[in-house]
Amino acid sequence: MAKVTRRQFLRGVAAGAGALTLAACGGAATTSPTAEPTAAPATAAPTTAPATAVPPATMPPGSMGSTVEITYWGSFSGVLGEAEKATVEAFNNSQKDVKVNYQFQGNYEETAQKLTAAIQARQTPDVSLLSDVWWFSFYINGHLQPLDDLMAAEGVKREAYVDVLLNEGIRKNTVYWIPFARSTPLFYYNKQAWQEAGLEDRAPKTWDEFIEWAPKLNKEGRSAFAHPSAASYIAWLFQCVIWQFGGRYSDPDFTIRIHEEGGVRAGNFYRDTTQTYKWATTPKDVTQDFVTGLTASAMLSTAALAGVEKNAQFPVGTGFLPEGPAGFGCCTGGAGMAILAGLPAEKQRAAMKWIAFATGEEWTIEWAQRTGYMPVRKAAVESERMQKYFAERPNFRTAVEQLPKTRPQDAARVYIRGGDQIIGKGLERITINGEDPAKVWMDVKAQLEEAAKPTIELLKTVEG
Amino acid sequence: MSAFSRSRPRVSAREWHERLLFLLLISPNVLLLAAFTFWPMIYNAYLSTISWNFLSPVQRFVGLRNYETVLSSEIFRIVLINTAVFTVVSVTVTMVLGLGLALLLNQPLRWRNGARAVLFTPTMLSGAAIAIVWIYIFDPRFGLLAQILGWFGFRSPNWLADPNWAMTALLIVYIWKNAGYAVVIYLAGLQTIDQTLYEAARIDGAGPWGQFWHVTLPGLSPISFFLLVTSVLACFQAFDIIQVMTEGGPVNATNMLVYHLYERGFIQSQAGPAGVVAMVMFVVMLILTILQLRFIERRVHYS
Repeated sequence: MAKVTRRQFLRGVAAGAGALTLAACGGAATTSPTAEPTAAPATAAPTTAPATAVPPATMPPGSMGSTVEITYWGSFSGVLGEAEKATVEAFNNSQKDVKVNYQFQGNYEETAQKLTAAIQARQTPDVSLLSDVWWFSFYINGHLQPLDDLMAAEGVKREAYVDVLLNEGIRKNTVYWIPFARSTPLFYYNKQAWQEAGLEDRAPKTWDEFIEWAPKLNKEGRSAFAHPSAASYIAWLFQCVIWQFGGRYSDPDFTIRIHEEGGVRAGNFYRDTTQTYKWATTPKDVTQDFVTGLTASAMLSTAALAGVEKNAQFPVGTGFLPEGPAGFGCCTGGAGMAILAGLPAEKQRAAMKWIAFATGEEWTIEWAQRTGYMPVRKAAVESERMQKYFAERPNFRTAVEQLPKTRPQDAARVYIRGGDQIIGKGLERITINGEDPAKVWMDVKAQLEEAAKPTIELLKTVEG
Repeated sequence: MSAFSRSRPRVSAREWHERLLFLLLISPNVLLLAAFTFWPMIYNAYLSTISWNFLSPVQRFVGLRNYETVLSSEIFRIVLINTAVFTVVSVTVTMVLGLGLALLLNQPLRWRNGARAVLFTPTMLSGAAIAIVWIYIFDPRFGLLAQILGWFGFRSPNWLADPNWAMTALLIVYIWKNAGYAVVIYLAGLQTIDQTLYEAARIDGAGPWGQFWHVTLPGLSPISFFLLVTSVLACFQAFDIIQVMTEGGPVNATNMLVYHLYERGFIQSQAGPAGVVAMVMFVVMLILTILQLRFIERRVHYS
């Protein structure tokens, strides 16, 4: 009897092991390196000030107050990661009141996923980098701190920021998301390949022009153009293309428009590049393919510029995105910083101090030069230092010149949770499988509408 | 009478003592399982019935609507087919290959230990790390595999970017990674077969094939059974290499249960549907395990 019981017991255990995968999913919450355990839960009163927990070693000699430590979650690796780390170091060395602990969390998606888990575990960082498609989810669920009072206390003015960029982080006339690593797509081309093909040294003015050029660039072992995967944000680039073809993903009120005429035309163009003309490929890593000369041109983020110029064995050219039948279209993208809601007052102030530095006039110049991201302050764009740099490295100027022509992305990509990936997967079906855009967009429309429901509901309760 | 009344409490006390000891000894494991296996399971069952995005303070109960959404979706059908194809091919090839290599390495060959070590190494390596290496091996232009295929005049398929080849590429990596494990287990199994059985078979006139068919294979059946169960369960849970190499793509060509669960939960932030996928996985694996225990165990010979 006892033997049977044990056997049954073990069998039950074995069956339970199947459910371990579930535990593994929840595991992200418990194993991710989070902020110091003193971080207050969102609902706690701001009296649990943990500033005194700072180890004496970090206390600057002779300083009157104690140092406030805050945790910052970042998302960059490679050249960008080094620049991000340098930002933290420069801030920590510039003053004694606040010490930022930098924690790298993986790419934009991973950072947002970990922050989601951290919120559940009530172990959030104080400041987090959040991408264009993620910050809104945290805002609408009440996890972001309104920043205007803190900005005023720190002497940071709205007008100091480039309007297009700051406006994207404003809801109901309140700032929640401050631009930091902001980009636009650019048209990158391999000047050597251009020369070999006998082309003029510039980016194509229109897609029609590029359709003429591309066969000359396309040869064995090198494609003329390349599309990224959904995971590498093809839906961000296509946001521009769908505008260029007279379509849009959605209206601001979440009415989906992707399946309409312009969207289908843009989709057909994308399908033709891989299926009919066959001069565009869909590699695993477009940036790498461009740098290694496997593709002669691509649309890439401005943020890729520093890395591309550093690693490419050929001269790199950049230009505005080509125009489509409906003219020019280009969006902004990238990431900004947000403060998590419910921090003790002094942590809030410390967090704002850090953001003011990282997005400040002086550092944004440094940051732009190290990465290729756009300077986020008006004064920085016009500064002598930046202008001099633009003169030396004209590619860095392209994005800033293109900026006034950009507009904010459609709600379907940036406000619907998962919207970016839903559209991206649809684009994979079009570019890789060669499926009919009209049919794919109907599927995508249905998915977007389903995914939009909770956002629309929340929006009603939050913003009325 | 007095003897009975004296002995009864004494037996009972010893029994109590044993029961307490039993509880004491199993309690650490039971607590661990309760915290990390059974509680998540129950919580997941709850998650599968709500509409929630992981961030909102509001969790709305929707009953079985999530099940309807997931089970009727086209993507879920693709995911199930992918998982089935992956599991059947991966387990079959790994076990046949493992057995073949084990038989070979069971011979007194030179470099035998070295070969065993080399074969077993992939099993020990981190999935994420080997996935990165294999991405380069599979590169259709400068990858190692493209070069080797080139020597024989073949053009490399666009392994990871072509929906028709991505699953094959993934299978190659998983089989390469797991075959060594099967070899080691089979080698251990081969040692346990009584040599006198072979002698008897030879006397009865069995050739090498007859010996393999009538002695080796039945002798290995408990080992094969063990490998079958563990491999099938492992295949159902495959994630790391998929996440790094293909991210379920291109166009869902390698999207399988665990990746789909991750996709639903952490990319699309749908706790409910993700919970449904986990429940489906749990039920399928439970059924498979019961079937395997019920039917196959009977035919397995334990000497």
